[in-house]
Amino acid sequence: MADIKIEIDGQIVNAKAGETLIAVTDREGISVPRFCYHKKLSTSASCRMCLVDIEGVPKPQTSCSTPVSDGMKIYTQNEKAKASQKAVMEFLLINHPLDCPICDQGGECELQDVAVEYGSDVSRFSEGKRVVAASDIGPLIQTDMTRCIHCTRCVRFGSEIAGMMEMGGTGRGEDLKIEPFLTQGITSELSGNMIDVCPVGALTSKPFRYELRSWQMASVDSIARHDLTGSNIYAQTYKGQVKRVVSGDNEAVNETWISDRDRFSYEGLSHKNRLLAPQIKVAGQWKEVEWDVALDFAVKGLNKHVLNNRKAHQLGGLASNTATTEEFYLMQKLLRELGCENLDYRLNVNNLEQAIVLASNIKLEALESVDYAMVIGSNLRLEQPMINHRLRKAQLAGAEICALNVKEFDYNLKISHTTVAPQEIATLLAGVLKSVLEKKAVELPEYLEHISSSELSIELAEKLLNAENSVIVLGEHIVNNAQAASIAQLVTDIAEQVTGSTLNVSMTSNSLGAQYAHFVPTSAGMNANEMLQADMRAFLLLDVYPEYDFHHASSAIEALSKEDVFVVSLNSFNNDLTAEYADVILPMAAMYETSGSHVNINNDIQSFKAVVQAPEEAKPAWKILKVLADLLELPGFHYENSSQISSELAHQPHEHSHDSAIDLTSKDDTVETIWMHSAYHTDVLLRHTAALGASQIGQTHLASMNVATAEALALKSGDVYLGVPIDITDTVADQCVFVSSNQATIGGL
Amino acid sequence: MNEVCFKNLDKDQCWSLETYEASGGYSTWRKIIKGEYTPDEIINELKISGLRGRGGAGFPTGLKWSFMPRNAQGQKYIVCNSDEGEPGTCKDRDILRFNPHAVIEGMAIGSYVMDATVGYNYIRGEFMEPIKRFEGALKEAYAAGLLGKNINGSEVSFDLYSHLGAGAYICGEETALLESIEGKKGQPRFKPPFPANVGLFGKPTTINNTESFASVPDIMQNGGQWFADLGVENSGGTKLFSVSGHINNPANYEVSMGMPFSELLTLAGGMRNGAKLKAVIPGGSSTPVLTAEAAMAMTMDYDGIDKAGSMLGAGSVIIMDDSTCMVEVLTRLAHFYYDESCGQCTPCREGTGWLYRVLKRIMDGKGKADDIDLLLGVQEKIMGNTICALGDAAAMPVESFLRNFREEFEYFIEHKKSMVKG
Amino acid sequence: MISDNAKKQIDDWIAKYPQGRQSSAVMEALKIVQAENANQLSHDSIQAVADYLNMPGIAAAEVATFYENYNHQPVGKHIIRFCHNISCMLNGSDDLIAHLETKLGVKTGEVTKDGLISVKKVECLGACVGAPMFQIGDQYYENLTTDKIDDIVDGLK
Repeated sequence: MADIKIEIDGQIVNAKAGETLIAVTDREGISVPRFCYHKKLSTSASCRMCLVDIEGVPKPQTSCSTPVSDGMKIYTQNEKAKASQKAVMEFLLINHPLDCPICDQGGECELQDVAVEYGSDVSRFSEGKRVVAASDIGPLIQTDMTRCIHCTRCVRFGSEIAGMMEMGGTGRGEDLKIEPFLTQGITSELSGNMIDVCPVGALTSKPFRYELRSWQMASVDSIARHDLTGSNIYAQTYKGQVKRVVSGDNEAVNETWISDRDRFSYEGLSHKNRLLAPQIKVAGQWKEVEWDVALDFAVKGLNKHVLNNRKAHQLGGLASNTATTEEFYLMQKLLRELGCENLDYRLNVNNLEQAIVLASNIKLEALESVDYAMVIGSNLRLEQPMINHRLRKAQLAGAEICALNVKEFDYNLKISHTTVAPQEIATLLAGVLKSVLEKKAVELPEYLEHISSSELSIELAEKLLNAENSVIVLGEHIVNNAQAASIAQLVTDIAEQVTGSTLNVSMTSNSLGAQYAHFVPTSAGMNANEMLQADMRAFLLLDVYPEYDFHHASSAIEALSKEDVFVVSLNSFNNDLTAEYADVILPMAAMYETSGSHVNINNDIQSFKAVVQAPEEAKPAWKILKVLADLLELPGFHYENSSQISSELAHQPHEHSHDSAIDLTSKDDTVETIWMHSAYHTDVLLRHTAALGASQIGQTHLASMNVATAEALALKSGDVYLGVPIDITDTVADQCVFVSSNQATIGGL
Repeated sequence: MNEVCFKNLDKDQCWSLETYEASGGYSTWRKIIKGEYTPDEIINELKISGLRGRGGAGFPTGLKWSFMPRNAQGQKYIVCNSDEGEPGTCKDRDILRFNPHAVIEGMAIGSYVMDATVGYNYIRGEFMEPIKRFEGALKEAYAAGLLGKNINGSEVSFDLYSHLGAGAYICGEETALLESIEGKKGQPRFKPPFPANVGLFGKPTTINNTESFASVPDIMQNGGQWFADLGVENSGGTKLFSVSGHINNPANYEVSMGMPFSELLTLAGGMRNGAKLKAVIPGGSSTPVLTAEAAMAMTMDYDGIDKAGSMLGAGSVIIMDDSTCMVEVLTRLAHFYYDESCGQCTPCREGTGWLYRVLKRIMDGKGKADDIDLLLGVQEKIMGNTICALGDAAAMPVESFLRNFREEFEYFIEHKKSMVKG
Repeated sequence: MISDNAKKQIDDWIAKYPQGRQSSAVMEALKIVQAENANQLSHDSIQAVADYLNMPGIAAAEVATFYENYNHQPVGKHIIRFCHNISCMLNGSDDLIAHLETKLGVKTGEVTKDGLISVKKVECLGACVGAPMFQIGDQYYENLTTDKIDDIVDGLK
């Protein structure tokens, strides 16, 4: 676009030919009122609030839809412009309730703000105002459509960003009504953004309803930690409690959107199950005690069970992937200072010998410009919503996206889906690699010689080779594949051969932070699964809930419950099972209550402060670990704040990924079960969030399989599989069951 | 009279291909298929003819066709607007009933000029008889090898389909019509971009009214100058006037542009029951109402009606005698716009209802002294501030009725009854 | 939900539009399905049309509620769509509508007890030179008088 000069209110400004006038005025800080315009949505030009006067044009023009051209003279404040803006304001207010004091949007309402400047005090409209019946669109969003000003931002958000048109405008004229068609309410995983884009109080946060006024709250920037994006958010607090979360702006991370998971999880903070005081188990009885008593009890227990008799190798440290990077670092430092190498956060992996090692080498923003993406083993939309959003943008820009999944999911982007059984994935990818190498006339490694490339693998190879900018995305459903490591290595090799990128979304939350902080065992130590089998004497647990977190949930509970095993458990929530196996429970701060950092898929280390204090006696885990280390008389734990830990951490050398041998022989004929928690049950805070749990995604509890698998398992419609109701559908591959559950894995695998 | 669109009106089966071809129909299209015309020659002829858009806006058709990026790569479309619905207007219905092939040939000629190989005729859904006639004509034309791909082995292709409305006045607005063909609500698009660049399915598109298309074959057959000479300066040709209301012979009359209104009135049989002419809406409900005096001094062409203080619009002449209560008429028109507003943009969605409610209040004997100023204020706030012309169309009658017949409104408010009807 | 016959008709419409633009046929598809379902569109039938045309349900619902000719409430077997706009009004449509209401014993917007006829006041139907007029089904009836109305209505079965 050519550089041009235009004149706005007598001021000469630089612009690009063809960009919209409102983009120029916004950049220049010239205030033009608007309601329907949103920089991330298509132009609708329907509210008419941004009308301005352009010299030589008889009618006023909307700034949002007018492309600027050289020499254009614009008046945003002259009599003609003002008259139009005031006219529009008057029309908007005639049917809008003027009861701002009882409206949840009051104080942060765009209509209210503009009305102060452009409205008149007395309405000449003396007819009855329009009343629109409320519609229930689910547990997350409260509607009050009488307040709707028909800007259609929510409608456009749905069709353009969420990729599922759920809201629409029915009727016409004065009867135009913004509403959903689906009776079960809104189902998008990004739906809460409609609250943010709604300029008035028509769509507000349901959990926040009637709580407070925006001006009563402090707004603190923070980082959401439920997935690999680390979306930038504002946590809004009042009297030490998080009352609401809204999205922050960061083009490189989440643009201006956040997932519902990140928006509503704060609700769990005030759940009655929070742990509020340190507890110790004396003679089988739990007793609430002061911190010093509990810590002393923990230190003595550890000394007695392992340290005094130089049995640090019988101590194990296990942490949830939701811990902060600093917590991971401090915990591994503590354990290693004690001489213990047994530590792990990879609790959900069946076979850690087959653990996926795969580097991510493409940034979120760059994902938008890929021309081909191959997604393997992921329901990306629900598992990593913002990553899915970037791929959707790529697709809208013309990229081809293909998915190799065990089940056909509800994609919100145009995707060519192929159902692939878990037992077939490694062979399929080997075929792709073989075909790629053949096309490049590169010599084949021995293990590929006996592989025959299927039609599909040849086609995929061609697409990857033809793409200029491809990415292969490896997802969580592969974690427990019998050939997971080989699959990851094949992905690495294919990407290298086609000079494409790789994206590893096989883990989530702050798993990358754990890796960054070396929270993985060296060859001298045991991994999580080995610890469960070994003769352990003590465990240090960081917010672990084995019935949800472990793949081998039963073994984990068994290992932790052994009589002579001393368990120190830091937890943010009460849990019956913890009470059974632990000897001391230390209440720790949850998300929002601690400072630290999160490492996202971009490898950005995003730091955050504690937004609120942990309730009652609960403390940030880094502080608990620090004091524990002090009491254990370990050197080098003189931290006063978490950022001192971060800077120490930044100077540590980091490991690089290694090559795995590819093994295609271990083909298994038994039915494989892929067990995923529902997207709203992936960590302990989420599991205590009522509104998310009540939503359609949160209610998912289904074991999907095809007819053949059901027959093989002797199951019929209405039965349960591993405690989960079954759904017989031809969208699932042979020889596997895909479970999406909102309940504990225990009793299952 | 009846020299262009209605030239075969008195013939038996005037809608048949046979009748149409007997009067020279499809001769231009056949020449085009043989490669005997260049697009520029056709545009030039149209420019000479002085044909202006018959749907209401009066934009010169030749100029409009020249704006189309006809050399641009990719699909382009030509669309006919037969979504007639402006109160007082019913001429396109008769063209479709009695001369459908002229519409087809006009569109075909346009398609060639603009390299648009596909066309749609958007016909309002209630027009079942005209739809059947048009569909029948399409079948005849296909059967005669006049439509399709590579017609007669030539490079010329044109496929034409009808698309039917489902009851929405706003779809007569050309971009709302495009949205409607795309299977959406008929909500007008903001401009720019204009349909010539981003039209149907995002492709360059030209949209003309039924009567405009139906005039093209005769213009080509007889020459642009012939057509221009039928009319007056700035208003070439003939025009169909739908004359309705308090007259003896309401009908569609195809007459030369520039005919004095008084002559048209006589042609339509004069005032019914010998009543006195009170008011005329000359171009359809959206155009300003005129007093009898202004109307009687007016000629029926673009400039003549403009001079009288109104617009030619779609040529829908609504005649009102002195038994007419202007408050009642305006209330009915206000209800129409209120009912037909698409609701997308604020001034129209909120303003049309406001206008109607104030008028209804006056009709119900509950008018307030300042309601006239309120009406004027509201219409002024709608005027010019909306996406499409429906806002202006709703505003203009209010302004003109109040300007020309203010005392009737004042009387109604004060006496809580009609000055005319009691 | 959609009969094979209806699907065939809808397919004919889809064929008129470019590949992938099947939602252009939504207006006709809704009419076709409505005609098969007592002149009325239910939530489910709108969804069925949307599914058939591979478009969001709400997008079909937008169309079904925007245009006048779709019914969402019970209507008569015959719908008398009576124009009451300016040209018809000037020619006495209001009195004729009142006559029709009296004759049928229903108000506009209502259905006769036997379910045979409903009356609807509509905006201009584009037959102003034949005012006053109404539409029943595919047919326009123009230059109406009370006698003419009686004859037409008495002939409805």
